[in-house]
Amino acid sequence: MARAWHRDTYWPFVISFAGLLGLGLLFVHSASHYDPAHYEMRQLFWVAVSLFFFAAAFLLGYRTFLGFSRLFYGVIILMLLYVLVASKARLGAQRWLEIGPLALQPSEFAKLAVLLFLADYLGGRPIFEKEQATFFGAAVVAGIPILLILKQPDLGTALVLAAMVIAMLFYWGLKYRYFIFSILGFVLTAPLIWAGLKDYQRNRIMVFLNPERDPLGAGYTAIQSKIAIGSGGLLGKGFLQGTQTQLKFVPEHHTDFIFCVFGEEMGFWGAAVLLSCYGILFYSILRILEHTTDVKARLLAVGLLAMLFSQVFINIGMSFGLMPITGITLPLFSYGGSSLVSTALGLGMVLSIHKERSIF
Amino acid sequence: MMRLRIIRIVVFGGLAVLGLGLFRVQVLQGPMYRAMGEQNRIRLIPMEAFRGKVFDRATRLLATNRVSYDVVATPEDVTPPVFPLLARLLDIPESEIRKRMSAPREYPFAPALIKPDIPRDQVFNLEEMKPDLPGVSIRISGIRYYPYHTTASHLIGYIGKINEKEYAQLPRDRYGMNSLLGRLGIEKIHDASLRGWRGGRQIEVDAQGNFVRVLSEKKAQPGRDLTLTLDLDFQQKIEQMLVDKRASVVVLDLESEGLLALASSPAFDPNVFVSPGHSKERIDILQDKSSPMIDRGTGSAYPPGSIFKLVTAMAALEKGVITPQTRLFCPGHYKLGKRVFHCWEADGHGSLNLYEAIERSCNAFFYKLGARLAPEDIAYYARQFGLGDVMQLEVSSMTPGLVPDRVWKEKHTREAWYAGDTLSFAIGQSYLLTSPIQILRLSAIIAKNGFVVEPRLVMPVAGSEELRPEKKRVAVSEANIKVIQKAMLNVVQSNKGTGQFARVNFDKMAAKTGTAQAPPLQAHSWMTGFFPYDKPKIAFVVFVEHGGPGGITAAKIVNDTIKLWNSIYGTGVA
Repeated sequence: MARAWHRDTYWPFVISFAGLLGLGLLFVHSASHYDPAHYEMRQLFWVAVSLFFFAAAFLLGYRTFLGFSRLFYGVIILMLLYVLVASKARLGAQRWLEIGPLALQPSEFAKLAVLLFLADYLGGRPIFEKEQATFFGAAVVAGIPILLILKQPDLGTALVLAAMVIAMLFYWGLKYRYFIFSILGFVLTAPLIWAGLKDYQRNRIMVFLNPERDPLGAGYTAIQSKIAIGSGGLLGKGFLQGTQTQLKFVPEHHTDFIFCVFGEEMGFWGAAVLLSCYGILFYSILRILEHTTDVKARLLAVGLLAMLFSQVFINIGMSFGLMPITGITLPLFSYGGSSLVSTALGLGMVLSIHKERSIF
Repeated sequence: MMRLRIIRIVVFGGLAVLGLGLFRVQVLQGPMYRAMGEQNRIRLIPMEAFRGKVFDRATRLLATNRVSYDVVATPEDVTPPVFPLLARLLDIPESEIRKRMSAPREYPFAPALIKPDIPRDQVFNLEEMKPDLPGVSIRISGIRYYPYHTTASHLIGYIGKINEKEYAQLPRDRYGMNSLLGRLGIEKIHDASLRGWRGGRQIEVDAQGNFVRVLSEKKAQPGRDLTLTLDLDFQQKIEQMLVDKRASVVVLDLESEGLLALASSPAFDPNVFVSPGHSKERIDILQDKSSPMIDRGTGSAYPPGSIFKLVTAMAALEKGVITPQTRLFCPGHYKLGKRVFHCWEADGHGSLNLYEAIERSCNAFFYKLGARLAPEDIAYYARQFGLGDVMQLEVSSMTPGLVPDRVWKEKHTREAWYAGDTLSFAIGQSYLLTSPIQILRLSAIIAKNGFVVEPRLVMPVAGSEELRPEKKRVAVSEANIKVIQKAMLNVVQSNKGTGQFARVNFDKMAAKTGTAQAPPLQAHSWMTGFFPYDKPKIAFVVFVEHGGPGGITAAKIVNDTIKLWNSIYGTGVA
């Protein structure tokens, strides 16, 4: 069993996975070592938990998870509804479900749920039969959680979900015209939606697209994070030496803006290494995908790849002004239990595809 | 497969785009950002919005903003020699200046307030010494100002600083760390529309902290102005009549149902609460035994005394207990079992009908009516006119008053209702409590032939003509209301009327006096009515705490008030 296990692992995958986790831990420490909340200790706990789930997913195999995908989906929808309803009293964004001392983010698991459901759903239907019906089915399956998440409001996660669904449909083979019509449909209904929005919601969207509109809030964060990263230069200021982030000029720097800490302290060469780690991870996923003939497995891999890639792109992009500011985490790197566990589960499943591959 | 290729290109292309972007920001622009970071060249300055003004019906200003020069300093830019220098220039101890510098601020590098509202000549001094005071500057802001001081002070209220709890809960785009909120009166009730939206600027400064340029700006949106139905000139002159008294006068314009005056004495000057450095005056006001902060017009309830006979009369007419012609005999007293209830005319009024009983305010007549009515009947008609409940009016304190009945008494005093209670109730004593504005509404409804009146204080915004809901009536027939109107006319115009001291010679007035027992002190003095009798234009109420007989104290004030009103709105002939 041990020897089989060793042969079934795709090493570049595991190395990049471990590398990202490790680096993430280091920099969560840097981002919060002066903070009494001891985020790095909690992160250590969550890393351990997610390694457990990673191993479990790998050993159980992706097929098990696909089998439970609909049940899991149902549970997640209920949790999302509950979050919306139960948190009406609290001000601000409602994203968490509190279970004792732990705070779960159902939206993180929703990504996994939609991934599994769609992989199973689309994988079970050949492309040349009933394409339209399947398309609408997929749209509904993805649409419900996206809408619930938008209401929280969590624009970032909704975007990631949308990217994932689009990538999966694309890979599945959906004809181009569906994409074109969907875009047209969106463009046409957008003015109607805009008219139906309340003032403060419109404001939020406008600030989202152009942080300059809110010079005291998002606009300030945007420029401070750019300063933090930019001042890292080529070589960085050194571990634990990030003045901008250490002095709290950039808020949320242990979660959404963790890349700022990394960029400031490790400079461009550090950023290049990080990007390469993600590159290797993504490359591994693509390789694993090529070694299996199971359509559902391939869809699962593509979906996970799209999810991770869009998070990396949006998170790093927003920290230097390329993308609007959203509240999403950098996978395996940012502090956040739900994000870590759900990503680890997904990666475990993908590695199990390699274990059960049919092409050697 | 082709599609897989596309995915590959997107993913690795995306990573490359990130890499290029980072190269640009970190390697190419790195030194620039490093400089900006090191010198903390970006500052956030929140900008408060101008509070909306409050006008009276003739666009006189009741609340506005005046310019104030504040001394502010950015602690990160200040050098040690600044502290003693500022202490000397501003005449504040150095320790106090240090304390204010280290107060919590909304953003890093935001200015801290050192001394607000400094006099003009000090501004020039400070400007001259600017090179020796790095980090210190003068900020121009607005301080709330109430030009009419004590006039209508209960109505307008005042504003005060936000507290921690509110700061944590309220939205940042309208409420900042040093924001002011309405705490009383119109300032409080209409705070949301008066306060506007905050703005802010992101500015770049040089290494000395001096302004270089604006990076981005969001303009503050001023609050909306508000117009009240009050006539401030009228109100001011009425308040002059009430000096040294604890009293209230309310006048309502019947056509628009807008309040022309809502005066309560004693009053306070709200400027004391909004201008800095008046703490002694504030404490004086709060400790003043005559309770100047109480709005005696709407927020306090008193026994109405004989005024309530109007309600009892209507109850009796509606229930068929009497007709307007029924005559009852007043021997000067009324016996209930062993108890004797006295009429104020010891020798008795003799035989009276309803008109005469009201005109002379005969107690015995109404004791007899009370004996024939159930307390629930009287309470029902009292409530028809809005007694015992709050009104929809934009004032800070509104008391519902109290209309008692059997159920109430048993619940609150654990004694049963006695027959004697009904008798006292009938003449406006017993547990009954009403506020002056409730009494005003009673007269207004009578003046309008039984149509319900909802007094208001704020003019509707131009253009938004609220759909006037269908007019409701009280459950009293128009014929009976007219009987009461006629009786009230006699109170003033007849030589036997209790209210004749209020009489004016340019037109006819209808009213009712009240002398409410308030042992151990003197009775409360009441008078309410409408004017002129034909086609009434206003309704009024005058109340003087422990003022003595209504027909004397209150009537005199009514007389002056009507003359005053006439000089402004009437024929002008006194």
